[in-house]
Amino acid sequence: MQERYAYYPGCLASLSQKELDSSTRAIAQKLDIELVEMPSVTCCGAGDIHEAKPDYYLHISARILGQAEQMGCETILSICNVCTLNLRQANKALQEDAALLNRINDNLKEVGAATYQGGVDIRHLLWEVSEGNGYEAFKSIAVKSLEGLKVAPFYGCQILRPSKILGFENPDNPQSLERLIEACGAEPIDYPAKVKCCGFPIVLAREDVALGELVQPLEQAVEAGADVIVTPCPLCHLSLDAWQRKAADFAGKEFGIPILHLAQLLGAAAGIEESEFKFKRHVTRLSPEVKAKLQVPSAIGTEA
Amino acid sequence: MTEIKNAHLTTLKGAYDTELMEATLRIRRWDPDTQRARFDTFTVTVPVTASVLDALDAIKDTHDGTLAYRKSCRMAVCGSCGMRIDGGAALACKTPMKKFVDAGHTITVSPMGNLPVIKDLVVDMAPFWEKIRAVKPYLDTKDEEVPDTEWRVAPEHGDMIHKESLCILCGCCVSECNSMESDPDFLGPAALAKAYRFVGDTRDTDTRERLRDLNGAHGIWDCTRCYFCNQRCPKGVDPRDAIAKLGAESFKEGFVRDEGARHAKVFVDSTFKGGYLRETELVPKTIGPVNAVKDIPFALQLARAGKVPNPLSPHKAKDNDEVKRLWKLLEKEAKGAERPRAQHPDAVREG
Ligand code: SF4
Ligand code: SF4
Ligand code: SF4
Ligand code: SF4
Ligand code: FES
Repeated sequence: MQERYAYYPGCLASLSQKELDSSTRAIAQKLDIELVEMPSVTCCGAGDIHEAKPDYYLHISARILGQAEQMGCETILSICNVCTLNLRQANKALQEDAALLNRINDNLKEVGAATYQGGVDIRHLLWEVSEGNGYEAFKSIAVKSLEGLKVAPFYGCQILRPSKILGFENPDNPQSLERLIEACGAEPIDYPAKVKCCGFPIVLAREDVALGELVQPLEQAVEAGADVIVTPCPLCHLSLDAWQRKAADFAGKEFGIPILHLAQLLGAAAGIEESEFKFKRHVTRLSPEVKAKLQVPSAIGTEA
Repeated sequence: MTEIKNAHLTTLKGAYDTELMEATLRIRRWDPDTQRARFDTFTVTVPVTASVLDALDAIKDTHDGTLAYRKSCRMAVCGSCGMRIDGGAALACKTPMKKFVDAGHTITVSPMGNLPVIKDLVVDMAPFWEKIRAVKPYLDTKDEEVPDTEWRVAPEHGDMIHKESLCILCGCCVSECNSMESDPDFLGPAALAKAYRFVGDTRDTDTRERLRDLNGAHGIWDCTRCYFCNQRCPKGVDPRDAIAKLGAESFKEGFVRDEGARHAKVFVDSTFKGGYLRETELVPKTIGPVNAVKDIPFALQLARAGKVPNPLSPHKAKDNDEVKRLWKLLEKEAKGAERPRAQHPDAVREG
């Protein structure tokens, strides 16, 4: 963990998943990390721009990385799997091909944008707090024990695979979320689909194929007795939480399992104000029992 | 143990000086006659250099001759020995046994996924070959007559399809493909990597037809980007990247009608409209207005939770004009560019 990061929340945390942004800022403050804003960045393209217009994708990525560099930040802090993979893929391409980087920088100069010299790394919040001094720092602020809370970790794909670009941990047997769940005093629940895909990238274009994927983690986590699922990715969150209704109809059974962002789980253990979690923004509501186990006071009446 | 006297031969030491180890493997058996599955655990003595395939050979030789698996080259070339090792598909001949023995770990060996099992570790590759065949895995130059001399492909043109040409058709990428689990008819990573190998071939003249077919049901837009294929491929083909290249080629050729393509386009547009993606536009633009109406109750549920940003107050990143100018610049550049083509042998001869 470092003391200062260029903070790239990505579009989901900035718009529809604002609860992730506020929880992240709150936890960063507790950890004494400075999050430097990046006011001019665009969407990273979520693999879609990468697929549709690869050259444009490399340009907008170089522009994002160049802005971090100009702000004097060595590392971008990401809170989204998809942003993490996309920016790291672009970074690798730019760092390994000087001719490509030169051409892109010429174009960036021509439109008056910041150029990129190749000196930035992209790290996900999960990686920063699940090992080394970041892990120690988190343990020291985890003052509340979430004893009795059963948490199913859902990693999602693009923080694990392909490991030659991500490479933080064994993609077939990751343990970082489990480590953090334990550090919160909660109990990690194991189930096979925790490393599989939630189907989000195709949920609009190929709904049935996507729902067939989405039901697996929901079904398995519920069956294994989990109270909540926690995920490091706002896209995984969106599909597990907001598309849960559709998955339930598709599978012909109810799940009713609340989905937490990683920063919310960490925040609960760190005793952060409930208002930062913005649970009202979740589609699948947290029951009073789950809130009690999360140790967040459930003000009945103001929140379901 | 053979003493190696000649210093020149010390590089061969491994071949003579066979230090041994005990390897334990748990194997999923499938008996087609009884239609029953079971797990058998075997311990065999093998050289420390043994692969998982060598260990299977030792089991077959010394313990159970009925154990069924495929192999041929035992050097990661033929693509026969794909199987799941601890749940993830890999070539048995390319996976060293020692790391597991050192860790005191008993590996579980099972057949590849997404394909029917015939016996033990042998899967039926017929559905795999069917999909490979479906993408027309051969060059179509529309030549009525075979030219007298060979086509010459410039090295930089060869590079464009180099990775995809490395495929040994082993099926490891297909084994954990999450979209194929959900849609068994999905063409899948191996066939799509093969498709790109010909779409990107500068001699092939069937590009548009190929792309049109790949943009249909069960085609490239089925891929959920789980990246299991890139993770598993033992030859560095990176099938998911090939699928992304097929998407980019489809855009170049104007195939933008598929929901998957429309979805991708919303992202592109959002960057220069406001910087960040506007999910309000994503749903109707991807699935079209009629379907979006059907989804109104669902959309309302999302809206209540604040998941649908107000369309009237778009997010605006600072300095977004830079991005607009960038887009225009690149579009101008791309307009002039033609698809690279290899020269026909006859033209080379005459010219
Ligand atoms: S992953 Fe998404 S949502 Fe996140 S910034 Fe990138 S494109 Fe936008
Ligand atoms: S699980 Fe779903 S949203 Fe999450 S990284 Fe995979 S595809 Fe993305
Ligand atoms: S990335 Fe696409 S093709 Fe590759 S395994 Fe996943 S769904 Fe299948
Ligand atoms: S792409 Fe890789 S994993 Fe898939 S069949 Fe070819 S060599 Fe095997
Ligand atoms: S035996 Fe040929 S690839 Fe393994």
